[in-house]
This record gives sequence, structure tokens and C-alpha cells, in this order.
Amino acid sequence: MKYHPIYTCFADAIKRVGVDPTKVCVVSDFLCQPEITDYLGVDTFHIHRGRAIAFGTGLKLGNPKLKVATIVGDLLTLGGNHFMHAARRNMDLVVICVNNFIYPKIANEHVPIDGSTFSLYATFERPPNIPHVAKSCGAVYVARWTALHKTELTESMAEALQKTGFSAIEVLLPGTGYFPGIKELEWASELLKFYHMHSVKKNGEDTRNVEITSDKQIIVGKFFVHERPTFIDSYNSRLTQVLGDKFKPYGVIRVSSRGNL
Amino acid sequence: MKADPRDVRTGTFYIDGDVASAEGAIAAGCKFVAGYPITPSTEAAEAFARRAPQVDAIFIQMEDELGSISAVIGASWAGKKAMTITSGPGFSLMMETIGLGAMLETPLVLLNVQRGGPSTGLPTLAGQADMMQSRWGSHGDYEIIAISPDSPQEMFDYTIKAFNLSEKYRCPVMVMSDECVGHMTEKVVIPAADEIEVEPRRFYKGPKEQYLPFKPDRDLVPPMARVGDGLKLYISALVHDESGYPIMDCEYKEVYIRRLVDKIRLNADKIIELKEEGIDDADVIVVSYGITSRVAIRGIEEARAAGIKVGNLRLVTVWPFPEKRIAELANRVKAFVVPEINYGQIVYEVERCAHGNANVILVPHGGGHVHNPDDIFRAIKYAAREEKKIDGIIEYKTTLKRLIFEEGYKLHE
Repeated sequence: MKYHPIYTCFADAIKRVGVDPTKVCVVSDFLCQPEITDYLGVDTFHIHRGRAIAFGTGLKLGNPKLKVATIVGDLLTLGGNHFMHAARRNMDLVVICVNNFIYPKIANEHVPIDGSTFSLYATFERPPNIPHVAKSCGAVYVARWTALHKTELTESMAEALQKTGFSAIEVLLPGTGYFPGIKELEWASELLKFYHMHSVKKNGEDTRNVEITSDKQIIVGKFFVHERPTFIDSYNSRLTQVLGDKFKPYGVIRVSSRGNL
Repeated sequence: MKADPRDVRTGTFYIDGDVASAEGAIAAGCKFVAGYPITPSTEAAEAFARRAPQVDAIFIQMEDELGSISAVIGASWAGKKAMTITSGPGFSLMMETIGLGAMLETPLVLLNVQRGGPSTGLPTLAGQADMMQSRWGSHGDYEIIAISPDSPQEMFDYTIKAFNLSEKYRCPVMVMSDECVGHMTEKVVIPAADEIEVEPRRFYKGPKEQYLPFKPDRDLVPPMARVGDGLKLYISALVHDESGYPIMDCEYKEVYIRRLVDKIRLNADKIIELKEEGIDDADVIVVSYGITSRVAIRGIEEARAAGIKVGNLRLVTVWPFPEKRIAELANRVKAFVVPEINYGQIVYEVERCAHGNANVILVPHGGGHVHNPDDIFRAIKYAAREEKKIDGIIEYKTTLKRLIFEEGYKLHE
């Protein structure tokens, strides 16, 4: 199982944008199939559960020339707080939030919110509206696609890589890597098709309306694009204001919007 | 290598331990601190944040301690010397990620200004009850280094040492201070930069395509890499081989992960620093660390005035524990007296290493204060008098305990 749509899209996006791959770093936490990141040919970290965004914050501040992408998931359970606060301070990160509703009850078509890994019975909990969380916390780029929207996903990743600030892309994708059995694979591909068939593309849709529920279609699209100063920009402007000429701005501020680092 | 003169604020100051520690970090070349405010460590973070713009460093207040330590590991891999600052509850939150630091062999320094616990405990008062947690807090097998300073001057000196050790052995190093030392204001002398020894990061210098992030040198420590240098790092928190790739295999774990433990254990003699005084002809030895070692001096002086031969053994490095030295001393003294501001932690290590050859007496303290030196004196007196070998740890009954439980002392109403 070496196919993983997120990484092929991400590799295409790196190529399209033309960033120097040595300056790209991908940090993923628990849910990715770890070996796959290697094919990207960039620096990669596969760390413990839920802390990829915080780790990425450290990397970015440690070397502001890096373009850091973090891959998180599972409905922002572990590490959801880092997501909110990195968005709030507009850390220059690309956050790919992979939601793999890998639950064993495809047949009755209640997949997106049906079942949880601990429950043999259907779950009664609502998934969070991640694009809306991202937007309301201050993200500058918000999109959602299923893994079968390959062209759109690649396009979004390329745009996010070019954007300075916190860009969040939610991807609906079953986690096939961890369930390599034939039966599960069938489920997984069916699940992919299910997402795709039940989704409707609405670019620019208000994020308040894009919650995933069992009775409505899944709304995908590029929801929100915005400009505001990143953490490092705000830090530098604030300290220049307070300390005047004595202050030497921290890091290198990227001015070009064309993705040149 | 000597410290960068731009980072060293040479002079004589009247500052508290927390501020001294921040100055030590800056002198050691620390360029990144992530933290979350928590008494009694906040002054250290504040001091660093104030100085950061002058030394091209950055301070970030993260959303929590889980984020702080994760960011510190990230910054360290980005090539910066990095530190986080916390106290009890924050320290507990950091535990999982300390294991990540050990697994990824990341140099980082953690300043823990201990307060009384458990839980929220005594936020503005002293404690020394995180000592075992610092060693065993994260899951799995790993080793860390912990240093316990006892004065603001030592906070400065030993924070530098902590950075040097973390770079040398590529592991998390903890400065286990306490509220008393953190908030104590004393004279601190910051020497000139050329008098401060600083360990530079050992970066890999060979051909890029041959780099293996976990291939050790002869001292069992691998050279470090930096993200963004085009080495195509693959760093995994899973059990990995020299290349960093995950390998779920018992044999490989023995080969590659055992080294995390061995690099500290086999270099323990080089790491351990002790301060000994009056040991040679001693009948009783007081083993202490941090603020307690300063309180113990009074008890030791009283005992000497009473004609008892007492030695003073101060653990500057608490972890790795000086097993050999304690075992050696156990053969020629009657007893060890171990005062600590907890209900028994390091005393268990002393007992283990004494191998039944000497009595081990704990002088406990629940936290919030330092010991009454008379308690330490009386424990020494008892230790010198007791001729029998007694198994296990003997808990000395402190004055406070006697007052409350035996003499009908009424608590404040």
C-alpha cells in the first residue's frame, strides 16, 4: 500500500509552486503511514500523537526560512488546541487535516459520523466543523476536499504553500494504510467513492454552512482566503514600535507572494 | 569553544535564581524559549523574553506546556539551542514529549522550578517532589540528565552546564531547581565571555547522501543535523534504525534503542558532578541536593560542634545517580542522612546503592518550607548513635510531625 493521495498531491503542489524542496519540512503525527513521506524527498518528521502543529511552530520559529507543512487529523481531537492557537497567532504553516472516518459500517451509508473505533454501536456524536473552526480562529486559507478531488486538492495545496500564514485544508480520506486487509481495503475504496459521490462543490461557501451531517451532502471547496500579518510579522512590528531602531527584526520576512523562499 | 561576547551580560548583579537561569541560557547560546506561565518559574521566562530581542533570540508563549516542549524540540531540530521553563503541573503535561526528546535524541534544556504538589499543590511555595518524575516520567526506557542548583549563582552556572551536557549527549537535560532557589535574590557574578566554556552543536560534516541521523560516533552519540540543509531527514518517533526509518523488531530495538540508555549510563562518570566536604573521616554522611543542601549545612555545623564526624555529600547531578560513589561510601560509614522536601524519593536511590551496608535515614518534609535545621541535626545525632543495622529506610520523625501527632498541637483555626 504505497499509494497515498495526500502525498502525491503534495508532491505535485511542491513541484508546481517551485519551492526549494530542501526548505520544505513535513511534520506528521499519529495517523499517517510514516514511510510515505520519504517519497517526497523533503525533511520529514513523524512524531507522537497530536503535536505536529506545535512542533511545526518550533521549526518555523527556529528557522523562518522553512516552509513547514503539518499533517494532523482525527477530527482535531489530540492537538486541537494547537490548531486553534496556531491559527489565532497566524503561524506560517500549512495544516492538512486528514479525517479518516475509518469505521466499520459502510453498508448502511451513515459513514461520516457513524461508529467510532471504540464503539460497536453507531456513535451519536457530531464531528466538528473544521473549516469553520479554522476560519473563526483566524486562518488565512481554508478549504476542504475529498481525496478523490485530486486536481482541486493539488491546487489548494499549491495555493496554501504560496500563502504566508496559517492555511488549513481538510481532506476526507479513509486511513487505508493502517488497515491493509483485503476486506478493509474494499471498505476503504468504497468509502472514498462514498465521499466523492455525496459531495458537492461550493467554492466560497460560508463556513457556517459546511458542517458534515448524515442527512446532507458533504460540501467541499475553497471556502475562505484572507490576508493578515503572521506571528513573526506582528512580533517584529510590535517590537519595532516599542524598541525603535534598536530592534533588529527576527527572521526573514517573506515578501513575495509567488512562493519563493 | 568560548561563549559569544554578544550573549554575555558580564558584571555583578543582585538577581533572583530564575533571572540568573535565563541569563545562563542566553550565555550558553540559547536562541529559543517556548513556555507557558506558571509560578514559580515565570520570572525566568519573563527575563528571557525581555533579553531575547537583544541577542537575536525569540520567546513564544505557547498555548500550553504540551505545545511548549513540542515547539522546543522543533526549534532544536531547526538548529537553535532551545529551552522550556515550567513548574510541577506543566512538568507533568510535558512528560510524553520528554520521551520524544529522548527518542529523537534532541538536545534541549528544561528548567523546572519545583513547587509543592501533588496537582495544583503549593504554587508559590517550595517542593522537591518531582525528582523521580524527572527520571521516570515518560513511558519506555530512556535516560536523562538532571542537575539541581542551590543558589542563583549556580542557576547561572549550571544552566550553562545543562546546555553543554545536552549538546554533548544529545538528550533532554533538566535543571531541577525549586521555588526557594528560583525566588531567592543574591549576588550573581557573570564572568567575561572568554571565561565561559560553551559546547557547540556537533553538526554532521560528511557527504550529504551518506548521512544517517542516528549513526553514533565512538562516544555513542550521533552527530546532529539541521532541517533545511538538504539532508532529506527522515526522523521517526517509532523504534527506528540508524537511518531513522521505523523498524518494529525486538533485535533492532536492542541494537538501536538500547543506546539511548547506554550513552548516558556508560558516560555517567564523565557526567556526574558531586560536591564533597569532610567525607574522609566521617561516620555519618548527609546526602542532599538543591535548596536542602544549604539548609543541611547548619545541621551539619551543629553536629560537628557536638563532636560528631559528619560528611557533606551534595548531589549536583542527581540523574544519572552516583551509584558507585554511594556504594563505596556505604562500606565505610555508619549511616546516610537524606533530607529532602518530599516524603522520600532520592532516599530510595541512596538505600538501593548502600546495599545494606549503612543505615539510611530520611528526613522528610511535605513542602511549603525548607527543613528545620534542628531536624537534620537530630537525625545526624541519631544516625551516629545507632549501632544496629536496620533494614530499609528509617524515617526520622520531624519536629512538626511530633508536635501535631503526639503533643496535641492545634492547627491554625
